[in-house]
Amino acid sequence: MERSGARVVMEALERQGVDVFFGYPGGVVLPLYDEMLNWPQIKHILVRHEQAAAHMADGYARATGRVGVCLATSGPGATNLVTGIANAIMDSIPMVAITGNVNSWAIGKDAFQETDIQGITIPITKHNYLVTNVDDLPYVLEEAFYLANTGRKGPVLVDIPKDVFIKKTSVAFPDKIERRGYRLPPTPDAGQIATAAKMIAEAQKPVIIAGAGVMHSHSWDELRTLAETCDIPVINSLLGLGCFPRDHELSLGMMGMHGEATGTLAVQEADLVMGIGIRFDDRLTGDTSKFAPNAKILHFDLDISEVGKTVTPIAFVIGDLKDSLQAVLKEVAPKTHPAWRAQVKSWQETYPLVVPEGKFLSRTVLRALNEHTEGEAIVSTDVGQHQMWTSQFIKFKKPHTWLSSGGLGTMGFGFPAAMGAKFAQPDAEVWAVVGDGGFQMTLQELQTAVEFNCNVKIALLNNGYLGMVRQWQELFYDHRYSHVAMGSPDFGKLAEAYGVKFLRCSRTEDLDATLEEARAHNGPVLCEFVVEMEENVFPMVPAGGSNSQVIMDPALKTPVEAAK
Amino acid sequence: MSQRHTITALVQNESGTINRVVSLFRRRGFSLASFNAGDCEQVGFSRMTFVVDGDHGVMVQVLRQLDKLIDVVDCESLEPEKSVSREMVLVRCQPRPEQRESLYNLVLEFFGKTPAASETAVVVEFAGDLAEVERLIEALQPYTIQEIVRTGLVAIKLD
Ligand SMILES: Cc1ncc(C[n+]2csc(CCOP(=O)(O)OP(=O)(O)O)c2C)c(N)n1
Ligand SMILES: [Mg+2]
Repeated sequence: MERSGARVVMEALERQGVDVFFGYPGGVVLPLYDEMLNWPQIKHILVRHEQAAAHMADGYARATGRVGVCLATSGPGATNLVTGIANAIMDSIPMVAITGNVNSWAIGKDAFQETDIQGITIPITKHNYLVTNVDDLPYVLEEAFYLANTGRKGPVLVDIPKDVFIKKTSVAFPDKIERRGYRLPPTPDAGQIATAAKMIAEAQKPVIIAGAGVMHSHSWDELRTLAETCDIPVINSLLGLGCFPRDHELSLGMMGMHGEATGTLAVQEADLVMGIGIRFDDRLTGDTSKFAPNAKILHFDLDISEVGKTVTPIAFVIGDLKDSLQAVLKEVAPKTHPAWRAQVKSWQETYPLVVPEGKFLSRTVLRALNEHTEGEAIVSTDVGQHQMWTSQFIKFKKPHTWLSSGGLGTMGFGFPAAMGAKFAQPDAEVWAVVGDGGFQMTLQELQTAVEFNCNVKIALLNNGYLGMVRQWQELFYDHRYSHVAMGSPDFGKLAEAYGVKFLRCSRTEDLDATLEEARAHNGPVLCEFVVEMEENVFPMVPAGGSNSQVIMDPALKTPVEAAK
Repeated sequence: MSQRHTITALVQNESGTINRVVSLFRRRGFSLASFNAGDCEQVGFSRMTFVVDGDHGVMVQVLRQLDKLIDVVDCESLEPEKSVSREMVLVRCQPRPEQRESLYNLVLEFFGKTPAASETAVVVEFAGDLAEVERLIEALQPYTIQEIVRTGLVAIKLD
């Protein structure tokens, strides 16, 4: 049947099961916005800034594993998406970004609001398209979704000139995507599996570092079975939180620059480090030459380009993690490591996370938030100190409940991502933990939240500083605070202006009541926690430093003695 | 140990393909010594040849990162003994009148050609492996080289 390019776009969304997407109109996408009126079953969320549309699509994807969709007009609309797209590729988030462009005949002539968004996004997309022939549109859109959500996932951008939205085509959607040279992850090699099983059998002090790959491949059950069968403690990378229950006796929490000390110490002492769905990022490894000095490294991933990129493993298994872990499970025998487990336990006892009493700290708030939500809520964060404390104190139990900007570290992500998650999972309790700095980058979306009664709770940890930067200036620049004291508006008045329920809390005594009131309210709530200004995140491995030199929390009474 | 590697890729032609491929080298800091792209035996596809400097690990990363690009159908690193690689060069010289004859003789010795000449200039055409091209350019120095244009290496494997 002949239909317009605009209609093809809406048909594609329907075919892909997109129930909600995020966008902002403009001149060249007028034909699409007109067509949208015929598709009430596909909800369009009108944001206040395109960056937020991309972060919402990202949050939607993180909370579900489905492709998030965002839409923007040409020129400034498209460039406003860029940060959100870059954020998505760093964390392998499945996303399709649709942009309008000027009429195809005007491209290259510096037409009004023309920008080369395809060129701009080449380094930050898994793939991108400029569709100049409407007959190509059905295939391209179908392929865009396919690429975004298969193999190593990532954002795909489709740029569509205005006339292509208007022109008609009778080309049908393809039944199948066949793309020469696009290979899905291979079946894991039997030799690699045998080697892996042998390494696990021989290890006396094994640890697993499990990352977001476990989430993307839905292999958290296999991970858990492997850990339990072979008695292997599990550490999570920042983005891996949630893929292994934090209340499990084998869970050691997160490792990395601000990971819990036990995980870091265990990796430095281990004789086998199994990286499962992680990319051995520099914030996790520290100085790679000093990383896991006593260990054989065994890397499981679907993307061979990650093998040996930063840390060189002794062996690796390439394939979809679900297949790889299932194959390994067939080859391993149950075993235990009582001495190793006892050692790990003693670290946990020596180096717990501490929350000094008598002050109203960000940690005080997050410990309470964890007690109230019990690791069941979806929690997104912005970027900074509050992000690290959230990763430490919220004990995530389930996959797809932790949303944080890991690779790009994008301030402004937390609040819109939480909204995207709430639109995706309307029945879930959703919290955005944000700092006073980052919140001011995307708080305009309060209006969007009000309009759609998007029931997210914002825990704003107001320390009056760009806290993470202040911490570095304190520790590494001799307390010379340069442009980190951050003014904020009166958040109460701001909330009132937007018509958002507001709660302010500055004392530990009021904490429970504040959290209860926020949770009980059916609608968005801004909770401002006025916390201690100069609080530092520990443990800490300084950037580029060795994981053997963890700076422990000074509040710990035990003398600090990191593993050699 | 840093070495020269010759890598070829079969790519699907689309909007942005060359940009995407070349951008990868810049973005990841791979040192691209030369690059060539052109039509091939398959309609809608091109073959590209890259010459990359780096150790073995770099070469492996280049291949793995290239392979991840959606437009790249296949890529491989060619072994010198099992492949042929050539570069074509055009050189415009401005020999003095008394040098003309020796210039023509020199080009003949190299099995090159002189496809065009004017009162003052002679265009020399030559194709060979990298070392031969370098040697020819060296030998042309006395004839007042005005311009050198090189295609970059193209390479094909034997089986
Ligand atoms: C867009 C962006 N700009 C700058 C930074 C650098 N940066 C990282 S953390 C941080 C401070 C964040 O302050 P705030 O939001 O108040 O959180 P806090 O650290 O105080 O918890 C800054 C400026 C960043 N990550 N992202
Ligand atoms: Mg702050």
